[in-house]
Amino acid sequence: MKSQASHSPLDLSKYRKVPAILMAVGGILAGLGFLVNPQQFAFSWLLAFMFFLSLGLGALFLVMVHHLFDAAWSVPIRRISEQLSTILFPTMALLFIPIALLAPTVYPWMREVHPELDHALHAKHPLFTMQGFYIASAACFLIWWWLSSNLRGWSLKQDTTGGALPTYKLRFYSCVGIVLFAVSLSLGAVMWMKALMHEWFSTMYGVYYFAGSVWMTLATVYVITMILDRQKVLSAVIHANQYYYIGSLLFAFTVFYSYITFSQYFIIWNANLPEETFWYLAREKGTWFYVGLVIIFGHFFIPFLGLLRIDLKSVFPYMLGVCIWAWLMHFVDMSFNIMPILHPDGFVLHWMDLGCWAFMAGVVATVFIRKFAAHPPYPLKDPRLSEAMGLYHDMPDSLAGEHVSHEAGRQGGKS
Amino acid sequence: MAANVTPITVPEPPRELRRIPLVSNYHSFGWISDRVAGLTEGKTPVWWWILFVPSVSLLGLLLFMLSYQISTGVGVWGNMHPVMWGWDIINFVWWIGIGHAGTLISAILFLLRQKWRTAVNRAAEAMTIFAVMCAGIYPALHVGRMWYDWWLFPIPNTYTMWPQFRSPLMWDVFAVSTYFTVSLLFWYMGLIPDLAVLRDRSKTKVRQFMYGLFSLGWTGSNRHWSNYEKAYLLLAGLSTPLVLSVHSIVSLDFAVSQLPGWHTTIFPPYFVAGAIFSGFGMVLTLLIPIRSIFKLQDLITMRHIDIMCKVTLATGTIVGYAYAMEFFIAWYSGNPSERFHFINRALGPYWWGWMLMVGCNVVVPQLFWFKWFRQNLVAVFILSIVVNVGMWFERFVIIVIGLHRDFLPSSWGYFSPSIVDMLTYLGTFGLFFTMFLLFLRFLPMIAISEVKGVIPQADPHHPMGGAKVHDVIHEKE
Repeated sequence: MKSQASHSPLDLSKYRKVPAILMAVGGILAGLGFLVNPQQFAFSWLLAFMFFLSLGLGALFLVMVHHLFDAAWSVPIRRISEQLSTILFPTMALLFIPIALLAPTVYPWMREVHPELDHALHAKHPLFTMQGFYIASAACFLIWWWLSSNLRGWSLKQDTTGGALPTYKLRFYSCVGIVLFAVSLSLGAVMWMKALMHEWFSTMYGVYYFAGSVWMTLATVYVITMILDRQKVLSAVIHANQYYYIGSLLFAFTVFYSYITFSQYFIIWNANLPEETFWYLAREKGTWFYVGLVIIFGHFFIPFLGLLRIDLKSVFPYMLGVCIWAWLMHFVDMSFNIMPILHPDGFVLHWMDLGCWAFMAGVVATVFIRKFAAHPPYPLKDPRLSEAMGLYHDMPDSLAGEHVSHEAGRQGGKS
Repeated sequence: MAANVTPITVPEPPRELRRIPLVSNYHSFGWISDRVAGLTEGKTPVWWWILFVPSVSLLGLLLFMLSYQISTGVGVWGNMHPVMWGWDIINFVWWIGIGHAGTLISAILFLLRQKWRTAVNRAAEAMTIFAVMCAGIYPALHVGRMWYDWWLFPIPNTYTMWPQFRSPLMWDVFAVSTYFTVSLLFWYMGLIPDLAVLRDRSKTKVRQFMYGLFSLGWTGSNRHWSNYEKAYLLLAGLSTPLVLSVHSIVSLDFAVSQLPGWHTTIFPPYFVAGAIFSGFGMVLTLLIPIRSIFKLQDLITMRHIDIMCKVTLATGTIVGYAYAMEFFIAWYSGNPSERFHFINRALGPYWWGWMLMVGCNVVVPQLFWFKWFRQNLVAVFILSIVVNVGMWFERFVIIVIGLHRDFLPSSWGYFSPSIVDMLTYLGTFGLFFTMFLLFLRFLPMIAISEVKGVIPQADPHHPMGGAKVHDVIHEKE
């Protein structure tokens, strides 16, 4: 496989205004939607929110796993995930405000006049109270803020100081963080998505949201890496290995997501308990049945077959298509989880869904680009950078002949 | 080309963060062959006999207990109403779980290009095969009249009797037998180049014939290597879903039921994570003493131990997440039976089993977060045994606590194993260790050719592999 660095520099200056346009158009549509139909607006906003939350959480996971396993290959692309994860706070926290305000419109359990008469709701006391909802939501954002800011902060410090201390600090935050991450992601998925049908329960649900989130994030990181490589921003440090590994992980998470989704469905279908099956029955009504089929084929079979070949994983236009497809499928998946509450008779792609999504896409893209541009594009002094680039250390002089001088090092860029 | 390049500097890692090489002391190709093949040559060491004799004795005990059980009936087990699944299924799931690390290391880590796997994959695969053999004994006997075991297979017959395909116990038959077959094939195929090494070093006619027979005429030609690499990759691809499927299917034995504590959607990934956890626990239990006895510290380095500890910690933490999620959803669901079951797990008559499970699988493995702990071989060895004990108790908690108090309080009971249960379980260790010791004595316990492939001398881009330093520096330009 060849690195994309052999291509001519990619010029994206003509697309510079796209995030602003998305924000403006999406903002107008969302604002108009709020005035016209607040309930539809609230659901569309939640759909877009859960979609982009996936991106932040997936990126946070990739950063922590990188440090926990002392990985080398992901060093050159780590900054992308670090910057993506910081959208969790304050960006996503601010974008959560409309959901917090319109929560009673979205969540049927909040509209219960006598919650003590609803056993499924009463059993969840005090988590499923207004206070419980807001405290749990705030706790999630605080955890994500603490983790993402510290992980990015120490990584940026590493750029200036080098040495072992930042690495140890990053590992510490990842150690503590991975546990907090698992708890907070599950709590977020339960409180904001599963709670739409509060009578339903599944131990797999947090893992299910996690699997889809990381899948979409990997596709996104892949494309950002390719773009930056072709723009000559990362070409000095990117190796063909990076594409192979992200592609392999994307493939692995394609299978993992399907495994999780199928397991959840199969166990519930097989036991056939009414207290569980109603969630799926609601998603077999009308055109939701076909949306389910789209997820089976589009979220599994198509990407599975499309990512089998190793060589295709380094073809930029092809992988761009895969990434767009992953975004589309994740959007469909989130719709499948959220929208049957509002549209029980079938799938409806409302203009407000697109408006809210476009607004958040514009906001997230603007924040990410601004943050990414303000700092070095890769960890300059990470101790594993040379390993990721395929350079060698620790050669005994007697065997290696002339010792490799790393500070004099190699040269990047192309003629 | 170099006219417009932008110079960048690449820092050298601080001394404390430098990688330990996968083979210490820059040993040569020849040294690796001598070191590993030498273990199977020469006089059998005394320690081997010291371990082998008790193992064979335990194997004899197993055969005796099986004969007794077959001739008497499954009533000799401690199974009783309402605990109709007892130690038989606990031990089956436990052994199957242990049989997970081998193929994970061989197949999944191969696809993920994890070079460290080469030093440990052979022994782990052998462990997998022997563990699955131990596991297979239990369902074969549990049917009661094992001479009818062949009814489990969909063989066309004049009785027009067909297996009940809707039962997950049937799925087990196919999942486990497929896993065993593919794991065995994968293990054997990896052995072929190394068997040829043993053949070429043989000094007796018998060894020459036997190793020659099983090395299938391997000459090490380019064509052989090319075919071998392709087949290895394909088998790795085929084995990977099997690693996930076997324990997922085993988990469905429980999850498809409607029993509180069993019917839960997280069971498949939770069982797979637990299986990998216990598998790595057993790999550490076996390899830590072996590397000391065989003096293999340069091949199975502290880096290998460190990584395996991390995988154990990661999977143990996933298992901990599943435990917590089960409790949370039992509360969240508001289902009184679910709530009662989980309270009963922690506070009922088997509270000690639950405490051991959580303590051994979740609490104690957190010590692996600390590097000083991962670098202490005695501590790691003890913890690996703790993991195995904990995983046995996990199955005990699921099965016995899941059954002993059912929906009807009048039929509640307290399960205790019979002596036959205990001795049969002890006997399976005899089978496992007998097989493993024979493996250590007669087959190369480290994949010679694969280890050679990850040393710097085998890398043409590395100065030790023949690359000029200048080429290394400018290789990517």
